Amino acid sequence: MMAEKHMPHPELTQPNWTDEQRAEFIRRRRGRNFLLLAALAAFCLMIYGIAIVKLHEYGQMW
Amino acid sequence: MMAADNTAITPHLGAEPGDWLALLKPRVISLVVFTGAIGLFIAPGHINPVLAAVAIFCIALGAGAAGAINMWYDRDIDAMMRRTTDRPIPAGRIEASGALGYGIVLSVISVLLLAMATNLCAAFVLAFSIFYYAVIYTMWLKRRTPQNIVIGGGAGAFPAVIGWAAVTGHIGLLPMLLFAIVFFWTPPHFWSLALYAATDYEKAGIPMLPVVKGAKHTRLNVLVYSLLLLPLTVSPWVLGLTGRFYGVSALISGLAFVYFCWGVYADKQDAEGNSLTKDKPARAAFKFSILYLFVLFLACAIDRLV
Repeated sequence: MMAEKHMPHPELTQPNWTDEQRAEFIRRRRGRNFLLLAALAAFCLMIYGIAIVKLHEYGQMW
Repeated sequence: MMAADNTAITPHLGAEPGDWLALLKPRVISLVVFTGAIGLFIAPGHINPVLAAVAIFCIALGAGAAGAINMWYDRDIDAMMRRTTDRPIPAGRIEASGALGYGIVLSVISVLLLAMATNLCAAFVLAFSIFYYAVIYTMWLKRRTPQNIVIGGGAGAFPAVIGWAAVTGHIGLLPMLLFAIVFFWTPPHFWSLALYAATDYEKAGIPMLPVVKGAKHTRLNVLVYSLLLLPLTVSPWVLGLTGRFYGVSALISGLAFVYFCWGVYADKQDAEGNSLTKDKPARAAFKFSILYLFVLFLACAIDRLV
């Protein structure tokens, strides 16, 4: 059951792939997702930081 | 061909996260961050540290985005050169259209974020620098003229100006001189590399100076540009824009660079100017040129403190 739960969508993989290739596909996709998550979190933090500093120092955003 | 062959053997398992970072050309970014940070540091006035960090990040992101667009456009020649054949697009790990979209989105984000954090002047210069590298250099000049590096050198010269503009909101004489220094530093730096990578450039059909005009002509140009660069690097001191520390550092390191470039010019060579020493002096000049620029900018920053 656990193995099935982590199986990628059938359309994203090929039937002739080995288990190793499928596992590698999942590993790479997870890595990309974490990178995207980190980038989005950093972006939000940056916007927040800019807003706080601008409002604190200049009393306005622009 | 390489990419097609690879994907035929190995199924397309998707890109590693690092491949997306590699599209941003991290090595180039490190130099851009350094010169941008120095421009920001030596500018008169005050900037909040958070905004300064965001400004440096935006300069790095903009440069990386331009690098991604460059890799998208140059994917055909990258596949032909040993140095670049394993890049994510020619190796088949990232699709070309994905890389283009990535470069454009990051370009827009970097410019908007810089405008939000600092001012429109800095954001405009960043936007122009991305356009300059991606369109003027990569798409227009690189494959058309042996002077590609001379004009393209401008692309790497912008970060110091952006850093300065982020603090002051305008462009002064000192950042313009720093721009000119990087502009004139680029040709001897790249031509030294091109001397020992000429066969690669020839194979890819890029009209680098050694390919079009020959090694002898290139050697002379390396020396001439190093001689032109020397007075230019000292000019901020002569004009009273920096102190003696910078001036003396620029003079000593500049003379050392001329010495290295003289080595390139006077290298043991055949009648056509091809090196008989496996381009040892050119390799040394290339390495030293990086140190030289580092010393110049660092001296400029230290000079501000003393």
